[in-house]
Amino acid sequence: MEKTDIRFPKKEWSVAVRINHWCMVSFIMMLVITGIYIAKPFTYLSGETYYKFLMGNTRFVHILFGVGLVLIFIWRVYLMFFSRFHADFKDFFAFTDIKNTIAQIKFYLLVSNKPAEHKYLYGPLQSLAYGGLMIMLFAMCLTGVILMGPAHSAGLTGFVYKLVKPLENIMGGLAVVRVIHHILTWGFILFGFVHLYMAFWYDCVFQEGTVSSMIAGLLFKKKKH
Amino acid sequence: MGRQKDKSYQSTVSRQYRQLMEQCKINLDKMEQELPPPRDDLKDTLKERGVSRRDFLKWASLTTSALMLPPMFKPLVARAAENFSRLPVVWLHFAECTGCSEALLRSTYPNVDDILLDTISLEYHETIMAAAGYQAEACLEKALHDFPGKFICVVEGAIPMGLDGHYLTLGPKGKTGLEVAKEVTSKAAVTICIGSCSCFGNVPAAKPNPTDCLGVGDALGIKTINIAGCPPNPVNFVGTLLHYLMFGALPPCDSLGRPVWAYGKRIHDYCERRPHYDAGEYVEEWGDDGAKKGWCLYKMGCKGPYTFANCAKVRFNAGVSWPVMAGHGCIGCTEPAFWDSMAPLEKPIAEKNVIGGEVTVDKAGAALLGVTLAGMAAHGVISAIKGHKPENHD
Repeated sequence: MEKTDIRFPKKEWSVAVRINHWCMVSFIMMLVITGIYIAKPFTYLSGETYYKFLMGNTRFVHILFGVGLVLIFIWRVYLMFFSRFHADFKDFFAFTDIKNTIAQIKFYLLVSNKPAEHKYLYGPLQSLAYGGLMIMLFAMCLTGVILMGPAHSAGLTGFVYKLVKPLENIMGGLAVVRVIHHILTWGFILFGFVHLYMAFWYDCVFQEGTVSSMIAGLLFKKKKH
Repeated sequence: MGRQKDKSYQSTVSRQYRQLMEQCKINLDKMEQELPPPRDDLKDTLKERGVSRRDFLKWASLTTSALMLPPMFKPLVARAAENFSRLPVVWLHFAECTGCSEALLRSTYPNVDDILLDTISLEYHETIMAAAGYQAEACLEKALHDFPGKFICVVEGAIPMGLDGHYLTLGPKGKTGLEVAKEVTSKAAVTICIGSCSCFGNVPAAKPNPTDCLGVGDALGIKTINIAGCPPNPVNFVGTLLHYLMFGALPPCDSLGRPVWAYGKRIHDYCERRPHYDAGEYVEEWGDDGAKKGWCLYKMGCKGPYTFANCAKVRFNAGVSWPVMAGHGCIGCTEPAFWDSMAPLEKPIAEKNVIGGEVTVDKAGAALLGVTLAGMAAHGVISAIKGHKPENHD
């Protein structure tokens, strides 16, 4: 071998962000699966009614993970501003660098070989997608809390429901909130597939270990940083 | 539940109820002095209609509990009912189908609610009044003159705002609905909106809303009590009036102006088919085995989970039945803009057509997902063939 491809590890993701990421993955998957059952349930035929509690249990799991997602989302927003490793709220606006964004689109469309400069933690289109995900998460948590409210009128849920009730009225009632919740689910499904594909594509094209970076936290760069 | 066993909590609650009862008595005394004497003696009326004293007392306990008051208020509810026909009422009709009046006034086996509504002192009601033309107009003017600030204005129907309100003109003088509503509600003690049309616009205001209809509260910018429903339950209307008679004030309302005692919980929360919902037993099509067994109508488009009303508790037609009991899902008629937001009425809300035509959210989502997957596959294959690599990348 004439040329040795020496790589230098660079810490990309803090432990908190990595844990947060995998929590979000598992919670969103669980929520999408239970959510699809709640939206389009099938009839559970065998046995007597009083033995069965399929929808009840599914809704319990959905609400449990939903409240969990709200907490994870709050945690992620906290990290966005106050992470001791890298507070990344500015990186969500990487797409505002238009020149860079156009270069990245060309690179993604396989037209040019020059990717966008690595100025921010996220690439321009990546920042757009993740920013969109944050907005979707916020809308999803909000509509979810509104939908949970009327059935759980005691305790913290009851208190939060009083706060979000005006938003329910602005949106036009629970039915509209429910439709928004349903549409956003498709947004998450689409985001999941594209995100997964882009992670693997990046790993293959840049060969820096993008996929493993979300587990070990390290990217392997050609130059020493 | 631990709080209920707390003695100091209980004594505070009962003291508050006693105070409320004192207030109620004072208010009823005042009402009896101020308002004209009852037109009919309720005892005689009930006797004529074949309602026994026992039935009346049963009704009084039911209404007391429906108003979320403790049983000691029963005598006061009965007393308020005896004074029911003292209350002068002006009933206005705007853009609507008169279905609410029909629902309240027609009944084969009238119970006490219906009888009370029959004895109500209606000063003006376009559908059932004998007077017509200028005579009818004179009735309205007399009522406004005789009971300024005392009468209750009941509004049925939305107010068209388009063409400066000229989509709706009433009476021999050709006044617009907007003018009449402004004139009458400004002199009324309270404005009660009966039916979803006057509350939120409902069918007259459904998309594309050609006459620019609005609910009375929105159209006039006043605070109204909204007895929503299409049609609403007579119990909710009578209960609200009784509350007004007893306490001299209208009951507490939710953020959409609906009395909390009637519209505080969802159809879904009180539904008798709810156990089947939680068990996962759904009617899959009209008349199947599930329908015969009375399973949940969620998949047949029941909008109970999104609708605040007490239909399941008080039912319709003298407590005989209500839509879900009869085998059709709730259509959500107590909610604002239900005609648009609850559509499709016989399919679950997840199958709403948001883009237009027959395209549901799920079909659009699946199509988008298919396109994305195909695009990703093509992109991956081409990247591999081209050997796509970044240049001069750090």
